[in-house]
This record gives sequence, structure tokens and C-alpha cells, in this order.
Amino acid sequence: MAASTQIEETPLAAPTRSWVRRTVTNQQFVLFVVLAGLIVFFGLRNSLFFQTGEFSNLLTDFSGLVLIALAETYVIVAGGIDLAVGSTAAVSGVVAAGWIQPMVNAHVNEALVLLVGTLACALVGALAGGFSALLITVFDLVPFVATLVTYSVGAGLALVISRGAPVGYDPGAIYWSASGIGMVTWLVAIILVISLGLGVVLHLTAYGRYTYAIGSNEFAARAAGIAVRRHLVSVYVMSGVLAGLTGMFFYIRSGSGAATTGVTNSANLIAIAAVVIGGASLTGGIGRWAGTMLGAAVLTVVSDGLIFINVPPTWIQVVVGALIAVAALLQTFRRRSRRMT
Amino acid sequence: MTTTETRAPVLELRHINLHYGSVEALHDVSFSAYAGEVIGLVGDNGAGKSSLIKTVSGVNTPDSGEIIVDGERRHWRSPHDSMMAGIETLYQDSGLAPDLTIGSNIFLGRERRRRGLLGRLGFLDQRAMEREALTQLSRVGITIPETNRTVSELSGGQRQAVAIGRAIAWAKHVIILDEPTNHLGARQSAEVLKVITSARDHGLCVLFISHTLPHVLEVTDRIIVLRLGRVVRDAPTSSFTVESLLAAITGLSE
Repeated sequence: MAASTQIEETPLAAPTRSWVRRTVTNQQFVLFVVLAGLIVFFGLRNSLFFQTGEFSNLLTDFSGLVLIALAETYVIVAGGIDLAVGSTAAVSGVVAAGWIQPMVNAHVNEALVLLVGTLACALVGALAGGFSALLITVFDLVPFVATLVTYSVGAGLALVISRGAPVGYDPGAIYWSASGIGMVTWLVAIILVISLGLGVVLHLTAYGRYTYAIGSNEFAARAAGIAVRRHLVSVYVMSGVLAGLTGMFFYIRSGSGAATTGVTNSANLIAIAAVVIGGASLTGGIGRWAGTMLGAAVLTVVSDGLIFINVPPTWIQVVVGALIAVAALLQTFRRRSRRMT
Repeated sequence: MTTTETRAPVLELRHINLHYGSVEALHDVSFSAYAGEVIGLVGDNGAGKSSLIKTVSGVNTPDSGEIIVDGERRHWRSPHDSMMAGIETLYQDSGLAPDLTIGSNIFLGRERRRRGLLGRLGFLDQRAMEREALTQLSRVGITIPETNRTVSELSGGQRQAVAIGRAIAWAKHVIILDEPTNHLGARQSAEVLKVITSARDHGLCVLFISHTLPHVLEVTDRIIVLRLGRVVRDAPTSSFTVESLLAAITGLSE
């Protein structure tokens, strides 16, 4: 006779209760509440925080972080780590600045200059990501070591090429970086659109699904016919490209490429922090777009807000550390409580 | 299953030889398997069970011999080839991605795309997958309240049932189960054995590898005993007892 295997479960709790419980223990929901709380807190302590100009600043600072944080999300969900996003941004900004300076000097149309610069940054970023991918998939280095190599080479090259000074000067770029509609500059709008696209790909397409499958159980992914190696290469190359675009972002804001402009060593760690605060697991397979977006938003609001309430900037890293600790503990607690039910 | 012998076998191995360097893993292994039949593959550690299933599933390439699936001679270049030919293999503890939902796991590597342009861009039809997964699983007697929960939320027996359900859903001819009741308690094992019976009822051939001889005797129609890379017994399950099976495995019966 046909067997009927009833998969017994903890009896489904009353739908409303389980829904409420799911929401309250949901990391994204918690982050949203924390974010709202932080904004209100900083605003009450210093009403200047509520000014529209500050909102514009927050958006811009967020834009400098969000692309490398989302790149890191893909890599971490796939079970890896990318320590090179910061230095890749630096080196691509420096290289592209050098390449496009002759165009700037020749008074070529600024839109064309920026387009070429963007492509150059993406290319250098893709090379850096491809280098990491080569070390990982062909030479079997673990991602941590492979991307540490790329980080070190990239940071070094950025200093060598720039000789420690800003490369190029492009006032047209700075001028364009301030243009836009109302509080949202074109620069920010473009980055937000890219961010949205990355979320759509991660959660709604086969590409995103394979990324989760590989990070969750690489053997199962391979057994299911997924081209694991090729997929991992594409993830690291994409991470490099996004880091390159971040390099271009800083070039546009400052009108020059520098080995240190906002993309120093700590950029890697801030990007990873945003992903971890967003609820991802460094063991792979777990992490969401919304989590990283909120994680990056919280980090942006905290580092800007602390300045508004006159906390010395040197303390910011300490606060970031505390945030990571709380997020990680929350995740551990949640996993434990789920296992017990 | 006495009538099956008159039909064409769905899987046939002819004179398979396999070496790992100088080590002889399989020696002149031949057998036929029929639709609607559960075959137990038993043997001591190193008897060649793993080598044999890896040869059938395309992980290993035999040095000589033929693999015939549904009347057609086949060469596997990768495990993917055997999947495409209708053979699904469930390796020990490997089957599922724990962080994906049940539905996503059932369709892993065979995702349903949305219609039209969105589908061509790689957009998934998640709702259809969850719905079809539910149908596929219930077809083999596995009922799950909802498929949109992750596999990590299931118990060991439930995971194994889902993994086998996945294999049944996609296999056209043969499913290979490597120690599917390992690490499972008595009740969870019983669930898994029921699903195996259900696979047979759906006309599939099941190759069941297990060290747990009572499970083998309970669920199989025929048992093939391997020792030192050779087939030493191939007989209906009814002709074995635990003792005689053990004797055949260890070589005491000769």
C-alpha cells in the first residue's frame, strides 16, 4: 500500500502568535527598530541631525559603503569572504584617475570622462576580483588567504602608483557630484538603483539561488549540476567590480583618486560588519539583502550621529565593535532558541 | 517480483572492472536491475559498494565493461550525465542545502523560471516550485505542512525523506541510496523505508546500500552481496536470513 509518512512537526502555533514571534525575532525587523531609534536619539540630542542637508550627507556616506557591503553579502552567502574590497576600490580609483586625467586636461565632455572612468574602475576591479577567484578556484587557497593577498597587493599598488598623493584633479566631477533632484544627487540615485538590482538578483533569480546553495552545501550544489567553480569566479569578479565602482564614487566626490580616500583598511571591515549586523552567517548560506542594507544604514547613522552629539570620532570604532557583538549574539541566541523548539 | 525477469532490465552492468592505481576495486561485476524492484547492495567495508555506486552514477569511470540504461549503452563523463539519463544518487549526508527551503531544495539545479522575458533573465517562479514540491512529495507519501520552511528546521528523518522524495521526483529509472538510514532512530528509519517502498510502487528501480541488515531484509526484493570487489551472491531476499546474509558478507558460507 502507498506509505504515508506524516512529517510530524511541533504543532503549528496559532498563526497570529507565530507571525508576531517571527517578526519580533527577525533580524531585519530588529535592525529597523534600532535604526529608527538611533535616528530619533541623535535628533533629540541635536536637532541639527534632522536637517535636510544632513539627510543628504547620510545618503552620500551610505552610498560609499553600500556597494562593497552588498558585494561582501554575495561572497559571504556563497561561503567565502572578501578582504580586498577596500584596497580594490583604492587601486581602481587611483588607476582610473591617472587614465582619465589627460581627458580632463583636454576639456573633454565631463559625462564622457566619468563614463570612461567608471569603465576603467570596473575593469581594474574585475581584474582584482578575478585574481582572488584564480587563487581560490585554481590554486585552492582559502578565500581568507586569497583575498588577503589581493588586499595587500592592491593596497600596495595604490600607494606605489599614487606615490602617496592624490592622483589627478577633476573639478567637473566634484561639481557633478552635487547635482541631482532635491536631496538625492544623481550619484546617490545611481548607486541606490544598482543596490536595488543586486537585491533583486540575490533573491529572485537563479543566480542568487545558486549563490545560497553553494554557501549552504557546496557538495549538494555540485551534485545538483550547478557549475560551482564558475559561479564562485563570477561572485568574486562581481565583488571586484562593485569595489571598483566604489573607487569611482570616491573619485567623483573628491575629484581625484587617492590611495587612502575613504577606502582605507577599515573599509573591508566596515563592509563585513554591515553584513554581519544584517544577520548573515560567515559559514555561508545565510544572509539577506535587506539585512545588509539596514546594517549599512545603521553603521552610517551611528558614525555620523556620534559626531553630532560630540563623541570624539576615535570612539566610533568602539561603538561599531559593540554593534557587531550585539548582532552576533542576537543571531546565536535566535539559532539556539529555534533548535530547542 | 518474479515476473520482472521476463522484462528488459532498466539498468544492466556487464563485466565492470575498476582499479584505483594498483588496487582492484571492482572485478568483473555484472548484474541486471528491473523497474519496480528494490535491490540491496551489501558487503563489508572495502567490498566495493561505494566504488560500484560511484561507477553507476558517473563519479568513477570503469576501466572496462559496459553500463546499459534502458537498453542504451552509456558513458558517463560526470555525475550530471547519469542524472540526465534518469539516475538519481543520494550520497551519505550530502543531499540537501540546509539554508534553502524544502521547495528550493527539490528544484535545486532544475529551477522553474518565470514565463517570458523575466524567465530568460533568470527570474525564478518560487510559488510554482513550492506548490509542485508539495505535490511531488505527497505523491510518494511525504506530507509536509508547508514547503517554504528551510531544511535546517527539519529533523534528520524528515531531511532524509525530503532528499529521497527529491530523488524520486526526478529519477526516470533508478535511484541510488547510500546508507539512507544511517544516524537515524528506529521511527525515523521506518519513515525512510516506507518512502523507499513507495518509490518501488512508482515503478522505479532502487539500489539500496546499507550496513543495517534488518533494514535490507525488510525492504528489498533482491540482495547482491559484494566481497573484495566481486559479486559473490545475487539472490531473492526471501532466500536470506540475517545469519546467512552475514555469512555471505564475511565469506563464512564457503
